[in-house]
Amino acid sequence: MVNRPAPRSIKLLANIPLNLLLFSVLIVPFVLMIYLAFLEWNPASGYDWWKAPITGLTNFKKALEDARFLYSFRLTMIYVVVTVAVEFLLGLALAYLLLEDFPGKKLVIAAVIYPLMLPPVVVATIFYLMFQDYGPINNIFLRSIMGASALNLHWFLRPDTAFITLLIADIWQWTPFIFLIMYSALSAVPKRLVEAAQVLGAGSSTIFWRIRLPLIKPLIIIAVVLRALEAFKVFDYVYIMTGGGPGTSTETVSLYIYRVAIEYHDISYAAAMSLIVLAVIMVVIRAFIWYAFERGE
Amino acid sequence: MGNVNKSRRQFLITLGSSVIALGVGYFLGSVTRPAKEIISTTTKTLTKTVTTTVTATGTPTTTTTTPVAPGLSAVAQRAVAGVKELMDKGVISPGTTLRILHVAGSRANLEKAIELWKQYVPEVNVELITLGQEPDVYNKAMQEAVTKTGSFDVVTIFSTWLGDVVEAGLAKPLDAYYSKYDPGYTGPCAPIEPLGSYTTTYKGKRYALNLDSDVFTLSYRKDLLTNPEYQNEFQAQYGKQLKVPDTWEELIDMAEFFTNLNLTAPSGGKVWGAYFYAEPRFAAYITWLNIFVEAGGILFDLKTMDPKIDSPEGRYAFDIMLKLKPYMPPEAVTASWADLYDKFVKGETVFTAAWPSLTKEAHRPTSAVKDVAGSALMPGVEVEVGGTKKLIRAAPNPVNWVGVVSNYSKYPELGYLFLQFATAPDIGLEMILTGVILDPFRKCWFTEPKYRSKLVQGYGEEFVEVYMQSLGISFPDLLIRGGPEYLAKLTTNVNAVMAGTKDPETALSDTASDWDSITSKYGVDEQLAAWQGLAELFPDDVKSVWKARGYM
Repeated sequence: MVNRPAPRSIKLLANIPLNLLLFSVLIVPFVLMIYLAFLEWNPASGYDWWKAPITGLTNFKKALEDARFLYSFRLTMIYVVVTVAVEFLLGLALAYLLLEDFPGKKLVIAAVIYPLMLPPVVVATIFYLMFQDYGPINNIFLRSIMGASALNLHWFLRPDTAFITLLIADIWQWTPFIFLIMYSALSAVPKRLVEAAQVLGAGSSTIFWRIRLPLIKPLIIIAVVLRALEAFKVFDYVYIMTGGGPGTSTETVSLYIYRVAIEYHDISYAAAMSLIVLAVIMVVIRAFIWYAFERGE
Repeated sequence: MGNVNKSRRQFLITLGSSVIALGVGYFLGSVTRPAKEIISTTTKTLTKTVTTTVTATGTPTTTTTTPVAPGLSAVAQRAVAGVKELMDKGVISPGTTLRILHVAGSRANLEKAIELWKQYVPEVNVELITLGQEPDVYNKAMQEAVTKTGSFDVVTIFSTWLGDVVEAGLAKPLDAYYSKYDPGYTGPCAPIEPLGSYTTTYKGKRYALNLDSDVFTLSYRKDLLTNPEYQNEFQAQYGKQLKVPDTWEELIDMAEFFTNLNLTAPSGGKVWGAYFYAEPRFAAYITWLNIFVEAGGILFDLKTMDPKIDSPEGRYAFDIMLKLKPYMPPEAVTASWADLYDKFVKGETVFTAAWPSLTKEAHRPTSAVKDVAGSALMPGVEVEVGGTKKLIRAAPNPVNWVGVVSNYSKYPELGYLFLQFATAPDIGLEMILTGVILDPFRKCWFTEPKYRSKLVQGYGEEFVEVYMQSLGISFPDLLIRGGPEYLAKLTTNVNAVMAGTKDPETALSDTASDWDSITSKYGVDEQLAAWQGLAELFPDDVKSVWKARGYM
């Protein structure tokens, strides 16, 4: 009995619903966005978008000369690099520490992944309240170390400290994501390899660096790429905790595009900026994957 | 071959089963679904918070047997009669639901109006679609202008948004309804002019009904300002009298004095000398604009529409704000607008300025300053006009909520009639006194004893007097197309200066550059015509300075 592939007609039939769905929710809006990026249109312009004048590359040129866009883009890149790096290191360390069995391990793992279950908007609100002048960070934690002067620490008043609060919220919520992937990856490393290395006299450090880490490299790449893509889209924390302020000092690229599109209603310009961001992310992620996976082949 | 057949058969069986399951599911869902009324309260996707406020109960009555209740003002009576007529003609049927999109701060106000509406028009339900933040309402309104879903019938908006929502095609012209039903916009009980006209009119047509007036007044801690001990101490330190400040310069000294006293409020928090808006979300521009206008600044050139904010008056406004900054709580730069209310009501600030609703909140029984909150005109700026110094006072009128009927509503006339009912002299006063963000907008509420006594109960005698004077020196928000965008850019830059991330010169030049782009986007000629009309509405004292400086 030979397994033969299903006829082409069945395959096509089976694919129709999915293709229709993808076409309507992904392709059509995406094509529309590309078209809008080449127009000069906003809802208050007094005419419908399909009657808007085509302005060519004007919006793209404007974006590349827009200091606020470039600043928000740079800030977002810093945000991604810092959060993903810290989350990766913490997630990996936690996963390694929890690899061995001990009483109450399941409870500890549940506690570690708990932040992941909260909506980002809730996390942002919690951290916003925690970092108030008289919030628990100043009033309880730092006051016990620095004394009453801790109450004069205004986290959201300075660009650097405001940015740090965003990083802390993100790291708190998303480290468990990296932890989960790393924990699964490390748990899947064949025990026989570790035991063989131990028999040959390898120490824990050697086993980690020479056996475990190389074996989980593909999952590390996936975790980092997924997390970086998500971190690049950060919006909730910034919108709720700092509003992009003080001034525009913590305004990320998502928040800026949101403001241009939704608050200033410059839909065409927002579409152009979105396309630029998309192109840069594609290039960066592709380069990262090449560096991690394909460079040595 | 057998395997292939089996796979194909399995696939077809699965596909068929799925289709049948969907059909059965749909059928079961249809027969077990709740009544239509309930569905309408649970399936909305437009908002963050959706709650049905009123649903009609009881057997619908026929319009011919329901008299318009006596005791209602003529404006409200006409609205109720209008609804009955619509029902008679079959334009609407009993059980019709009207949907109002609004911001959370006006919920209690509108609930009161709906409660009263229910007494006279029980046949028509009114649902509130509540959004959390003010900009959310603007965004949803503009999205509706694009998507045209008809998911709400009426929307309450800032008067600054009117140009945008009209141009976007969302706002329905109301002139015909004004003529047909007469909302009481003439005579002794008309809305206060010129506010009543400039907040509801766009390019000569009526598109809205007034729900509010929002002229700023100065609020202060009277107990601290009249304390003899502090008065003597202030006299000794500054060589002048401690009193309600006439100028911003005087206010800075007093704010410094009270901040340095390190007083503790009843709440346990520190008492700050001042709290004026400098926050990043939308209100920072108000303080800057107030000082700028009083200093004789003009926003745009009246001949070219070039921004004129990068000017000595603009720098002066920043200078005053930066001098005040050390005496304001840090939250003035970071928190949302409501934080100012919170701190004043807790007694944590001596001088502040906000919408009339701040006074209403300060007079509530739970307020720590209910017996000691004073009201005064906004501080002014001394400027030289024709060689002599003159104190110029002006008061901003930001926001000013108005009600707009959606062009995509199924019941636009009904939507209008609800607004007319809710803003009638009698119903409107009940509405503004019950909730938070809507404030008095009809003249007779200040003048006619039967209304004034109620107003005084809600706001206090002193405020009612001060507010009448403030109306005379008020100036409009930027009521031209793109108004929200112009002001948002200004707010961002004012906040940046106050946070120390930009210097005033850069902030002003950046704002001017942003404003130029916005003006170009909408067309210089059209924007200029709108601005020329708006400039006429500024107080005479301000215009006299503009003329003296050659701006006008």
